[in-house]
Amino acid sequence: MDASANTAHLIKEEQVPAAPKFLAHPTAKTGLMSWLTTVDHKKIGFLYGFFALIFFLVGGFEALLIRTQLMVPNNNVLTAQQYNTLFTMHGTTMIFLAVMPLSSAFFNFIMPLQIGARDVAFPRLNAFSLWTFVAGAIILNIGWFLPADKYGAPDGAWVGYPPITSKTYNPKHAIDFWIMGLQLLGVASIAASLNFIVTIINMRAPGMTMMRLPVFVWMTLVTSFLIVLSFPAITIALVQLMMDRNFSTAFFEVSGGGMPILWQHLFWVFGHPEVYILILPAMGIISEILPTFSRKPLFGYPIVVFSGACIGFLGFAVWSHHMFTTGMGTVATAAFALATMAIAVPTGVKIFNWIGTLWGGHLMMRTPMLFALGFVWMFMMGGLSGIMHSAAPADAQQHDSYFVVAHFHYVLIGGSIFALLAGLHYWFPLMFGRKVSEGWGRLSFWTIFVGFNVTFFPMHFLGLNGMPRRTFTYDPNLGWNTANYIATMGAYLLGIGMFIYFAVLAYTYFKGEKVGRDYWDGRTLEWSLQNPPPEYNFAAIPTVHARDSWWYEKQNRAEIERERAEKAKAEEAHGGIHMPFGSIWPFVASMGLLVVAIGVTCFDSNPAPGIHAKLGLTLIGGVITFVGIYFWSLEGNEGYHLHLDKDGKPVEDHGHGH
Amino acid sequence: MSQRLRHVRSALGSFIALPALLLLSGCDFNFWRMDGHQTTMIAEGPVARTQLELFWVTVWVTLFIFVAVGAVLAYATIRFRARSEADEHAEPPPQGHGNPLIELGLIGASVLALVIIAVPTVKAIWSTYDVAEADRKDALEITATGYQWWFKFEYPSEMAALDNAGAKAPLVTGNELVIPVGKPIRIHLRTVDVNHSFWVPKLAGKVDMTPNRRNLLWLKADRPGYFWGQCAEYCGDSHAVMRFRVIALAPNEYSEWLQQQQSLARQVAVRPADSAKSREKVVALRSFRTNETGVSAQFDRDPLKSWQAKQLPEKNEDTALIAQGRQLFAAKTCNACHTVRGHGAMGIQGPDLSHFGSRSTVGAGLLENNSEQLRRWLRDPESVKPGNKMAKAYRDNKIALSDEEQVALVAYLESLK
Repeated sequence: MDASANTAHLIKEEQVPAAPKFLAHPTAKTGLMSWLTTVDHKKIGFLYGFFALIFFLVGGFEALLIRTQLMVPNNNVLTAQQYNTLFTMHGTTMIFLAVMPLSSAFFNFIMPLQIGARDVAFPRLNAFSLWTFVAGAIILNIGWFLPADKYGAPDGAWVGYPPITSKTYNPKHAIDFWIMGLQLLGVASIAASLNFIVTIINMRAPGMTMMRLPVFVWMTLVTSFLIVLSFPAITIALVQLMMDRNFSTAFFEVSGGGMPILWQHLFWVFGHPEVYILILPAMGIISEILPTFSRKPLFGYPIVVFSGACIGFLGFAVWSHHMFTTGMGTVATAAFALATMAIAVPTGVKIFNWIGTLWGGHLMMRTPMLFALGFVWMFMMGGLSGIMHSAAPADAQQHDSYFVVAHFHYVLIGGSIFALLAGLHYWFPLMFGRKVSEGWGRLSFWTIFVGFNVTFFPMHFLGLNGMPRRTFTYDPNLGWNTANYIATMGAYLLGIGMFIYFAVLAYTYFKGEKVGRDYWDGRTLEWSLQNPPPEYNFAAIPTVHARDSWWYEKQNRAEIERERAEKAKAEEAHGGIHMPFGSIWPFVASMGLLVVAIGVTCFDSNPAPGIHAKLGLTLIGGVITFVGIYFWSLEGNEGYHLHLDKDGKPVEDHGHGH
Repeated sequence: MSQRLRHVRSALGSFIALPALLLLSGCDFNFWRMDGHQTTMIAEGPVARTQLELFWVTVWVTLFIFVAVGAVLAYATIRFRARSEADEHAEPPPQGHGNPLIELGLIGASVLALVIIAVPTVKAIWSTYDVAEADRKDALEITATGYQWWFKFEYPSEMAALDNAGAKAPLVTGNELVIPVGKPIRIHLRTVDVNHSFWVPKLAGKVDMTPNRRNLLWLKADRPGYFWGQCAEYCGDSHAVMRFRVIALAPNEYSEWLQQQQSLARQVAVRPADSAKSREKVVALRSFRTNETGVSAQFDRDPLKSWQAKQLPEKNEDTALIAQGRQLFAAKTCNACHTVRGHGAMGIQGPDLSHFGSRSTVGAGLLENNSEQLRRWLRDPESVKPGNKMAKAYRDNKIALSDEEQVALVAYLESLK
């Protein structure tokens, strides 16, 4: 990314009519403009991670407030209204603004490197996904900064079941923020996923067959398909809810004969695949880390891949296990109970194969490995309590109790978050050329591990002892006091652990020990690169000969070097390394959507001044988006070329006559 | 069986209790026994028992899997750990790719473990869904309706006197459901506003109350008892304080209770001597913090007995005060939302108060029903239950109650046995 910048020019200037100045391609390599106009998958991945971590801290802070309120019975720190807002935003933030974009950060940064590509298939669409995600995040959180009587932050729980989210019972604009926020995030996620699917299918290096793909890439692919197939369900549901709230339709509006149960089905047809959208990338990361730190290939690669895909398919057939208490009837309940048990098999298979990977290896017990092993243990616990829920009659007692809260935090923190934290440690040397200190890494792991268990293990007991979730207070005579107190102390400890983790990460980013290429003795292609990886990723597109291709390259250096030199020569003969221009237009299009969303959410439909502002602002936003997309399409496919000099330093090609 | 259960429970308990003990001493660590009023671990009826037995099947199977897989994982981690820096960089181990036979064997074993759970699950789905066909004609039908934030209970088969002219209507009570022991109860679940969920853990798992949907739940109490219940589906501001009780009575006691409830609200004649009494003594005028606990340990010692004590009129009633309260009930427009059968109050927005004095709680199972707590509720309902309709009615209609008026209303409501 530190290419010595000259002015970039069009390749064949004479064929392009002279463009007005504002259409000139942005050339900034540093500073704010370089970030707003970047189409480099690594920079976009970095930004995804940056925003995700900020929202992870926000969601964590909300969690600490929740735990503080529940520390003692009949506590008075928060009002009921504040508490309900906080748990709604904690869930929404952690799922949509922390875990998903953090996974997306890895998809962006790592996946193209692992398949030997120079970028994703549609770099500008990638930038559009990023900025639309940011727009959605802003809309979701904008209510915090507006007056609570008319706006406020969303408070309809992350599942947003009507009628509690209908205009009748929630006339404030808070729910509109939630609706439009999720819609924008859906646009961002679907666009990004299509991009990843096309990239994985079309842009693999020669020899990188599907069954040689690193498991993380496979999980990226499955997750992307899940997103593309499941988000339309919630998009429809959100449109219907928006119509109910703004245009007096009656999809869910009871007084008009609407069916609130319909929302629950639509939501969970999305919501359950969403659970796998959160956990499959984590499983992919673990399937990379365990082989690297065991120094042997993944045990049973085809079965791990197949079970991942299998989970993806079955994930669409179990949504109603979130609805065992809605009176579905005996046959439907039995069918969903059995399907849910079935999905435990491919999940269990993954755990067996991870243990098989460890077996007979030389385990390097470094911080990423600790987080990965922590993941396996915690995910096993969360998975097993998940099996308990599949027994529908038993679930009638556990549903919406703290037992469920314990279960999904075991799979989402012990699962997803542990894996993402492991991934950050694992790929940090590659991303930034620096390494997190082992001592601090271990300290943060153990603090997080202990804090997490002290917080959430007692919640199993709370739930079985009858404490329902989403309650801002409880009486002291129900036997819940001690467990709640311990859980709150654990939450503070977990907070301290997270603080240590991220403080150390930030310190390392600026001042950490510099390390050389392939710090962990890796097995996949990304480790063949210098760190941080250059803008063009690969000087010559690699040829893949085996599943763990970098491991193979390290065993067969002479052959590979010969091949590389030939390839570089061939590429030079074709004019050098082709690079895309940056572009501001995806950013403009996304900001247009932000204006649309503000127009839709912030004003009343009537009386008169409200509707004028609403229509006006929405139209302006629409025009901005249109202009953004229009100029984006005018830019065409041009780019510039890079040549590598003798030392491997890139020199930009001025284009004339080549 | 139960001996073994207790053993496992205590083992699970000490796993968490021990490290916590270091953290804070002087707290009671019995929470892992899970024997609270609202626990799911004690079943007092067939539905809850089936659910609990199934739960234990899932516990044993998953615990076995966890121990078996965990042991292998722990062994592998310790056995194959690199002992030193040099060991980490030693010659890599053989690059094996897996073993299909092991895979197939483990998949088979997992499927088998799941079948152990699946069979009783499917059986229990049918048995917990509705009363068995043969017993259905003996069942008592009740309609439970969720409101933001309280429960209405209606007995369609039990007619109650509605007014002095002899009109009758099905019996309606609020927040405390009284049922006979040993009889299957079919509860039809309805809601007038948002989603709620009906949950009495010791008797049955929850079933939702969803608008435009007819749901059903059944339960049976094995023996007399006083059971805690709570709304289990997020329903807005005061979801956490939407609670209720189920009281199971022996058949004869139940019919006594029914007879009392079917009659019109109690009339209290004024005794001239009462008008001179000091009112402050009747209700202690103390103030409460928001959210402050409204329950007492004294009540909990034998909740059923405490409930039974509420059924009889108090000895030293101030009849003049009660009469004044009755007038205020109309003057302050309480009757617009509440029904007191025979006293000319026919409102249906709020709970039926015809026999309010015989209930053990105020504000949907939230506060213990005594003069002090009732006055707290009447004085500032918003601080007890944020967002509730009564507080809104106070604001909208500018209803203000002086101390004396509160005391009179308390006396009146407590007299409605």
